[in-house]
Amino acid sequence: MSTINEIPLAAQAMKRPTAVTKQLLKRSSAARRERSAKVKMVLGAFLTAIVVLPIVLAQVLPLPDVDAQNITSRFLPPLSGGHLFGTDQLGRDILSRVLHGGQVSLTIGVLAVVISGVVGVVLGALAGFFGGWVDAVVSRLIEAQLSLPLLMMLLLVVALFGPSIPVITFVIAIAQWPEPARLTRSLVLVEREKPYVQAAKVLGLPQITTLVKHIIPNVINQVIVVVLLLLATAVLMESALSFLGAGPQRPFATWGRIISDGQDFLTTSWWIVTLPGAVIAILVVGVNLLADGLRDRVRRRKETTA
Amino acid sequence: MLTYVAKRLSQSLLTIFLTVSTVFVLIRMAPGDPAYALAGPLASTGDLEKIRTSMGLNEPLFTQYGIFLKELAAGNIGKSYSFQAPALDVVLGRLPNTIFLAVLAILLAIVVAIPLGVWMAKRADTKRELGVNVLTIAGQSMPDFWIGIMLLTLFAVVFPIFPSSGFTSWSGVVLPVATIAILQIALVSRMVRREVGSNLAAPYLTVARARGTGEQKLTWAYAMRNSSIPILTTLGTRFAGMLNGVVVVEVVFNWPGLGSLVVRALETRDYPLIQATVLVTSVLAVGVQLLIDLCYPLLDPRVRLGKVSVA
Repeated sequence: MSTINEIPLAAQAMKRPTAVTKQLLKRSSAARRERSAKVKMVLGAFLTAIVVLPIVLAQVLPLPDVDAQNITSRFLPPLSGGHLFGTDQLGRDILSRVLHGGQVSLTIGVLAVVISGVVGVVLGALAGFFGGWVDAVVSRLIEAQLSLPLLMMLLLVVALFGPSIPVITFVIAIAQWPEPARLTRSLVLVEREKPYVQAAKVLGLPQITTLVKHIIPNVINQVIVVVLLLLATAVLMESALSFLGAGPQRPFATWGRIISDGQDFLTTSWWIVTLPGAVIAILVVGVNLLADGLRDRVRRRKETTA
Repeated sequence: MLTYVAKRLSQSLLTIFLTVSTVFVLIRMAPGDPAYALAGPLASTGDLEKIRTSMGLNEPLFTQYGIFLKELAAGNIGKSYSFQAPALDVVLGRLPNTIFLAVLAILLAIVVAIPLGVWMAKRADTKRELGVNVLTIAGQSMPDFWIGIMLLTLFAVVFPIFPSSGFTSWSGVVLPVATIAILQIALVSRMVRREVGSNLAAPYLTVARARGTGEQKLTWAYAMRNSSIPILTTLGTRFAGMLNGVVVVEVVFNWPGLGSLVVRALETRDYPLIQATVLVTSVLAVGVQLLIDLCYPLLDPRVRLGKVSVA
C-alpha cells in the first residue's frame, strides 16, 4: 500500500514531469487487487469478530441459563420477553443456546484444525523434502483420502466409538490433514531447489535442521492461511455431523442439533432454525473472507520478494 | 498412455483397498464385541456364535482379515438388522436416487458456474466482481442443510410452489437439486475464475491478442480450453465431497436415497448398513474419478504421449 502512495510524492519532490497520475495508479490492476484483498480482510475480520466475541464472552454476558426451560414462554418470537433471538419449543433462550453451542463448535474446530495443521505440515514437509518412498506413501494417502466421500466413514467412526467431543475432534482432524499436507509438500518441493538449501548442505547442516529451521519458516505463512480456511470447513463439518445426529450429545447444545430439533416447528416458529443457521453462516463467511484476503496478500508478498 | 492408465487404475485400487482395510480396523478396534455390533441388539447367543464363526472372530487377526476380504469379494457385507435384509442390497436399492440427485446438481452447477467464473476472471477486482466474489464466498459458507431448510420454508411453506419432501413428482426435484447446486456453483465458479484468470494473464494470450485474435476466441478457445484440465481434475476430486453434501441434503428433503438411510442406521446402530454405505459410496466416488482421469488424454495430447504427469 505504502509504495503506491509514495511514488507520486517522490516524483513531485524531484519536480519531474510524469504522465503517471494518482488516478491512473489507483486504477492499476495491482492497486485494485490490493483494494479487494483489503475489503475482504476488513469485512471478514468484522464478521468473524461479531460472532466469536459473544461466544467467548458467553459466560460473562447477562444471558438466561442455557438449559433453563420455561413452559410458559415457549415459542417466543425474537426481541420479546428479554429474548433477543426468541425461545424454542421448551422455552429455552435461543441466543444463549447458540452462544454456548458456539463454544463447543469452536473448541472442536480449533483443536481439530491445529491437529490437522501439525500433521499436515509434518507429513507434507517430509514428503516434499525427502522425496522417494516417503513422498510416494504420503502422496498416495493424500490422493486416496481426497477421492473418498469421507462423511460416511466419519459417521461409522462416530457410531462405533461414541459421539464424544474427543472422538469428533479427532474425526474432523483426520478428515482435514490432506489439504495442508498437499500445500506444504508442493511449497517445500520448490523451496528445496533454492540456493540457500545448497548453502546449508555445503556448510554441513543436518538435513532435518535445514528443513525445520530454514525451509518450514519460509513456507509456513501460506500454510497457516489455508489452515484458517480449514477452520471454516471444520465448523461446517461439525454442524453437519450434529445435524445428522452424530454430534456431541446432550447436555451440549450444538448448532447442528438446535437446527435439526427446530426443523419440526419451522412453519410456526421460523426463528429457531433461521437464526442459528445465520450465525454459522456469518462466522464461516467471515473466516473465509479473512483467509481469502490474507491469501491474496501473502501470495503477492511472496511474488514481490522472490 | 498405457502407463498413465495403469497408474490411475492402481491408485483407484489402492484407495478402495485402504477404505476396506480402514473399515476392518475400525470395527475390530471399536470398544465391545464386533460380533455383537454386527448382529444388533436383538441377537440371541446362538446368532452371536454363528457370526463369530462366520467372521472367524476366534481366529488370529490376520486370518480374520482374509475372511473379511473374501466375504467382501462375494458381496457379503452383513445383514442390516433394521431392514432384515442384506445390507448391500438395501444400499444398492437406494443408490440410484442419490446418483440421480448428484448428476442433476452437477449439471446445473456446470451450466451456471462456468460462464459465471469466466465473467469473474474477465472482470477481476472490479467493484461488481468483488460483490459477486463475496456472494460466492457466502455460497460456500452456508451449511448445506440450512440452505435446504431455508429454501424449503420459502418455496414449499410460505410460497407453496414445490412439494416439501420425497420424490413424488418432477417439481420435487427442484429444491434439493438447487440446494446442492448452490454450494457447487460457488466452489466451481471460484475455481474457474482462478484458472481462467491465470491463463488470461499468460504471455501466450497477449501474443494471440497482438496477432488480432478476437476476444471471444481468446476467452473460450484459448483460456478456457487450457483451463479445462485443472477444472476437470478438481471436479473429479470434488465429486466425493459433493456426495457428502447430497447425503445431508437428502435428509432435509426426506429424499429416499442414502442420506435418510445412513441417519436411520446411525440411530439404530446398524453397523452393517453404515459399513455398506461407506463401501458403496467410496467405490462410486473412486469410479467417477477414474472415469474423469481417463478422459484427460482426450483433452490433453501431452498426457496421451506420456510427456507430462498429471498429479
